[in-house]
Amino acid sequence: MAYHTSIYLFVFLPVVLLVYQLTPKKLRWMTLLLSGYVFFWMISGKLVLYLIGTTLFTHYIGVWMSWMKLQCETAVSGLTKEESSIVKKRYKQKEKWILIGGILGLLLALAYLKYYNFFAKNINAIIGAWGGSYALQTKELLLPIGISFYTLQAIGYMADVYWGKLKVEQHPGKLALFLGFFPQIMEGPISMYSQTADALWQGAPITGENLSKGSVRILWGLFKKMIIADRLYVFVQAIFEHYEMYHGVMIAAAAVAYTVQLYMEFSGCMDIIIGSGRMFGITLPENFRQPFASRSAAEFWRRWHITLGVWFKTYVFYPVSVSGLVKRWNKFGRKHLGKYLTKLGVSALSLFPVWICNGLWHGARWSYIFYGMYYFVILLGGIAIEPVRNKVLDACHINENAWYFRLIQILKTWMIIFTGELFFRANGLRAGISMFFSMFRNFELQRLWDGTMLTFGLDQADYLVVVVGCVVVAIVGMMKERNLLGEAGLQKLCLPMRWAIYYGLILAVVILGAYGIGYQQVDMIYAGF
Amino acid sequence: MQDFKNIGKRAGKVALFLAILFVIFELMAERMEIALIKNDNLVQSRNKSLFRIQREPQDSIDVIVLGDSLSYASISPMELWEEHGITGYVCGQSGQKIQETYHMLETAFETQSPKLVILETNTLFRGRTGLEGIKETIEAWGNYYIPIFRGHDIWKSFLIDKKYPEESYKGFSFRCDVQPYKKGNYMLETEQKEEMPDIVVKYMESIQKLCYKKGAELLLVGTPSPVNCNYRRHNSISAYAESNSLDYLDMNLRLDEIGIDWETDSLDKGDHLNLSGAEKVTKYLGDYLEEHYELPDHRGENSYRGWEKEAREYEQKAQLHLEQMAAK
Amino acid sequence: MEKLLDILMEIDDSIDWKAQKALVNDRLLDSFAVISLIAELEEQFDIEIEAAEIIPENLNSVDAIWKMIQRLKEN
Repeated sequence: MAYHTSIYLFVFLPVVLLVYQLTPKKLRWMTLLLSGYVFFWMISGKLVLYLIGTTLFTHYIGVWMSWMKLQCETAVSGLTKEESSIVKKRYKQKEKWILIGGILGLLLALAYLKYYNFFAKNINAIIGAWGGSYALQTKELLLPIGISFYTLQAIGYMADVYWGKLKVEQHPGKLALFLGFFPQIMEGPISMYSQTADALWQGAPITGENLSKGSVRILWGLFKKMIIADRLYVFVQAIFEHYEMYHGVMIAAAAVAYTVQLYMEFSGCMDIIIGSGRMFGITLPENFRQPFASRSAAEFWRRWHITLGVWFKTYVFYPVSVSGLVKRWNKFGRKHLGKYLTKLGVSALSLFPVWICNGLWHGARWSYIFYGMYYFVILLGGIAIEPVRNKVLDACHINENAWYFRLIQILKTWMIIFTGELFFRANGLRAGISMFFSMFRNFELQRLWDGTMLTFGLDQADYLVVVVGCVVVAIVGMMKERNLLGEAGLQKLCLPMRWAIYYGLILAVVILGAYGIGYQQVDMIYAGF
Repeated sequence: MQDFKNIGKRAGKVALFLAILFVIFELMAERMEIALIKNDNLVQSRNKSLFRIQREPQDSIDVIVLGDSLSYASISPMELWEEHGITGYVCGQSGQKIQETYHMLETAFETQSPKLVILETNTLFRGRTGLEGIKETIEAWGNYYIPIFRGHDIWKSFLIDKKYPEESYKGFSFRCDVQPYKKGNYMLETEQKEEMPDIVVKYMESIQKLCYKKGAELLLVGTPSPVNCNYRRHNSISAYAESNSLDYLDMNLRLDEIGIDWETDSLDKGDHLNLSGAEKVTKYLGDYLEEHYELPDHRGENSYRGWEKEAREYEQKAQLHLEQMAAK
Repeated sequence: MEKLLDILMEIDDSIDWKAQKALVNDRLLDSFAVISLIAELEEQFDIEIEAAEIIPENLNSVDAIWKMIQRLKEN
């Protein structure tokens, strides 16, 4: 039951809204929690037990750590400062082991379900290469929907409790709701406990304002998904599934088309999800902020799948950067290597885990790992050449904020993004590499207009709608960049204007949407991760 | 008090918004339907019968045929006309779901008062269960009551002159490939049953009620198809027909009487029939109708001149196709 | 306080650090600047900064950084 389907939009969501509103305020959290489990169950059946298990486990770890904290407080009362600092350290160490145990527990479950086969295959390949016989059987493992998302949320919660950022949650129901809010289950956004748990628990009444604003947001998401993404899917599918037959500009066009498809699809689904949350009065964190306006790859990742980036920064990047290993490197570097190399080393040490995890998180495939490493190299390279770059710019008297310079930066970033997504989408790393190189063979630009583009199942009208749709999204994006639009901006318009926009959106989705005869329903891409 | 006023104002606004939306939808749907009924080429193939049946002169059709692709691959109204003067129309759709069958029948009843409704039984096993079933129901419901959904793609025709031409003789078109079916007898007798999905049973009830209300009889027909038919399904339909006192004609058990030759009559290895198979099935069906129902013979009537003309054209083309098929 | 300003000037000498109140949110300190700052603070003030401390509230202004240093020194 994906979020863009009629059954979610016209049956599930309205029913839950109604039941929620009819439930007494104090029990509303139960309605939400139960809907979450029903939603999960409808997609993954009894695998919902994994979600419940994760919730109970996470709850237990949290309570255990906070119990340690209490023990520690009792133990240090009446001690001198030196003594208490020693005792505190001892307890902190114990807590750390609990946290590590907790994280490992969740990661092992994830690793077993998501990565076991990958691991088994590669081990077998290695053993096979040594002439041995196959050692590990691959298994048919069913992945509970959204496991990659709720696992991260659960780990974040445990770490926050460990760090003392959060007070432990005694009520398992509240934690369960945080991990199982149905709009978020399938593909995020990955929220932190402090962002959503309280609002979910509150059971605020549904208001007309939230309903209407939520609906507009959902419509906007449908616009992106149904008009643009689901059309491009046809073309992207045709090329990527038969990449051997194409070269040059067609591969490049497919890479661009896939990037646009992924953005429209993922951010469109986010609009539907955030709009759904809004209807219950829940503000879910944003996942996209006009990523194609980025001037560098680093900026791109602060604007694209934001909640994943923030998660990695908070729970991987910073912890690694203050870890013992990095500290030792820092000391060593300062003595022997000088500032530049030390900084580069620190960056590499902290970035590497982030990007290997990012790649692996998307799934157990070498092409995803490559995708992670691709951005690792690009980001690290950016840091490495920064001093030189600054000197060159200074010497040439280039104004970094001049429009032409910004344009060049943005276009450069686009190239990086398109190339990255080419590898991301390709059917395996080998296919990705082969596609990348075939892009430079017989470019044949004329194929864009010699009729080749019409052989994939899309006609001129489809391409026209895609282009116009992208222009609309781009204009809206530019207005958002300049803070002209968004909810506040819409509110400032007079009523007829506002309604005209709503009618326009509805009619656009109904008439131009890629649904019905001649189209296929396209699943959500990120729900597979 | 203030609160209530606000709520009232809001509700009024929402109502106005929806009312305007409704009017916009209605106006657009009306214009769209007119365009689609007028120009058959603008309708995509799956929806064609939906609009074609509305173009037929009022109350001129006596037999409506419903079902999935088996229905329009097997039954040729022109044959019924030539042999018996029966006016039939095939309102089948590829993969027609039972919900669509129901709404198709509703549409047909808007302008026609058929005496007999024939339902090809393969549709009875098409219902999906659970979520998919609900989804299909919503979609079929939406397509019928908010016609803009089913015809929304018409903008393409205005923009780039997109057309979907297709030859049709009252819902039948020539399918002339020959790919024999070679796997032998597929109706092996058994006591087992394949249950019909719940949603089908539910909708069949509505279909029966609708037919009763409109004074039409309902006949279940299973056309020959080794890929889709078996004895377990036969048993299930048989039992259903009996408990609902419906007539059920399973041609899969009468292949010899009909004269089906799987070497020459199969379009695609036993899934659908080709023209040759369809002629045999329709001939048999015509005799069956003659025997069991009192359907008027319209041949020679003034208002049915069009049928005669169409039949001549059909006959010529059919002969040509059959000769070519025999030569293959 | 002087020591802290020296460290910040070393990271970027074109910024009027004292005047800024949203160093992290305005991205005057990006994540790489933050980790070099943290490393420098740990060394110069002989404190240990946990990852949990690396939040905008602790780093958005010179005052906030200074307060964090004082707090950690006391522990």
